[in-house]
Amino acid sequence: MTTKQESEDWVYSEKVKEHFLNPRNFLMGDESRFSRDAEGIVGNPICGDQMKMFLKIKDDKIVDIKWKTYGCASAIASTSALSELAKGKTLDEALKITAKDIDNYLGNLPKHKFHCSVLGHEALTAAIEDYRQKQKD
Amino acid sequence: MIYLDYAATSPILPEAKKAMLDVLNNFPGNASALHTPGHRAHAIIEEARADIARLIGAQPHEIIFTSGGSESNNTVTNIFAGQSVAVSAIEHASVLESARARCDCVEISVDKHGKIKNSSFEKILKKSPKLISIMLANNELGTIQDIKHLAKLAHQHGILFHTDATQAFGKIPINVKDLDIDYMTISAHKIGGPIGVGALYIKDGTPFTPLIIGGHQEHGKRAGTYATANIAGFGAAARYAYEHNIPKLYAEKIAPLRDELASRILKEIPFSSSNTAQPSLPNILNVSFEAAEGESIQLYLDAKAGIAISTGSACAAGDGKPSHVIMATVNDAEVAHSSIRFSLGLNTTKQDINKVTKVLPNIINNLQQISTIQTKGAK
Repeated sequence: MTTKQESEDWVYSEKVKEHFLNPRNFLMGDESRFSRDAEGIVGNPICGDQMKMFLKIKDDKIVDIKWKTYGCASAIASTSALSELAKGKTLDEALKITAKDIDNYLGNLPKHKFHCSVLGHEALTAAIEDYRQKQKD
Repeated sequence: MIYLDYAATSPILPEAKKAMLDVLNNFPGNASALHTPGHRAHAIIEEARADIARLIGAQPHEIIFTSGGSESNNTVTNIFAGQSVAVSAIEHASVLESARARCDCVEISVDKHGKIKNSSFEKILKKSPKLISIMLANNELGTIQDIKHLAKLAHQHGILFHTDATQAFGKIPINVKDLDIDYMTISAHKIGGPIGVGALYIKDGTPFTPLIIGGHQEHGKRAGTYATANIAGFGAAARYAYEHNIPKLYAEKIAPLRDELASRILKEIPFSSSNTAQPSLPNILNVSFEAAEGESIQLYLDAKAGIAISTGSACAAGDGKPSHVIMATVNDAEVAHSSIRFSLGLNTTKQDINKVTKVLPNIINNLQQISTIQTKGAK
């Protein structure tokens, strides 16, 4: 049986709606217009969502962040929220941002959409790994 | 609000609401009881049955009432439990999943427009299943099948034929005797009746096993106290559809609006394509937009313009299952995830269509601009 709480769980919080309708830090159009030091991509359009993170890094700090997302409202809101959380942080601090942090920041995604925040976390991690790999090379 | 999700459910007709209130206000009793209130309920139910039968060209005794389309479909697959059954790959889940669960089920392929593939159908005929079930018109695409022809071929091979007419009912003319089918599913709330009641047409003399047992109602074909108010509402909606020749109204008034919506979207929105092909129901349009995801389009339309539409698929629980209908037709998950369905109703106006074509291009453009997928030809 579905409880009232579970039924409400399908509804987006005001914060999710707000980020979905007014996403922050997204990259419009041509990607090459944003000069970045690293990027990370996760997900697959075939599965219904894909995220891409672009980072500008100075002295090990994320000085600017942009993203692109193909996906549902939760995916767009999650990437937007993550970009707000990560901006200005050092790479080590940014790596500590968990899917749960994104979820909390958004006032909780519907349960069946939690994977969107996981994807966001993975996209940022992938971008930071990309940067660190480039530093090594 | 602009409601363009009539295929999901449609607002109740004033005539149906009145019929239901008459029942609720005048407590007619249990239709199975022998006393006077019981007789009154019985009379109301039989009148509704006759109205519904008339709309589809059936005899009243060939109709049983159910709780809706899903129960009617489940009733049919249950008759053939443990036996071989063939269903089209684009059936509603209440046919597809119940047939897979109960029967030895094989699927019939469709072409890219959702039409039954002749080659696949012929192969199925040679397997001689006990039942073939093919929907009259598809709920996501609107595609209409040539049921008369398919049923004839099935019968030539001694195979019984069921059609789920839930979406086609009340939208196009349907005559069960002309189609010569054995079972047909219909539902009240798609034609302005209440949610919670449907019917199953069972041709005289066709094999039958009840799904719900434990009562003599419907001559033992479906146990359970009659939902008199719901049935009265269903009957009133069917009467309205018959007396006002609603299918004709759909063809003359709604189909041109749908066609205009289609041609304007395809012309004015880059990287759009239609998943709906003729012959289709007059009120359904399924379109895909490259690089823009369906649920996002749906929520933007709702939040920014108060326009209610639906998606064929939603990403849930990370399984990202695309619409089985679009996978069966074009077999492209990206097209499926990027598709939305407009379904028009009798209250839809030209102003509604104008509003959609005014706000949709910007919404699609924004989603395409922030998308990880590059539209073909875009930089």
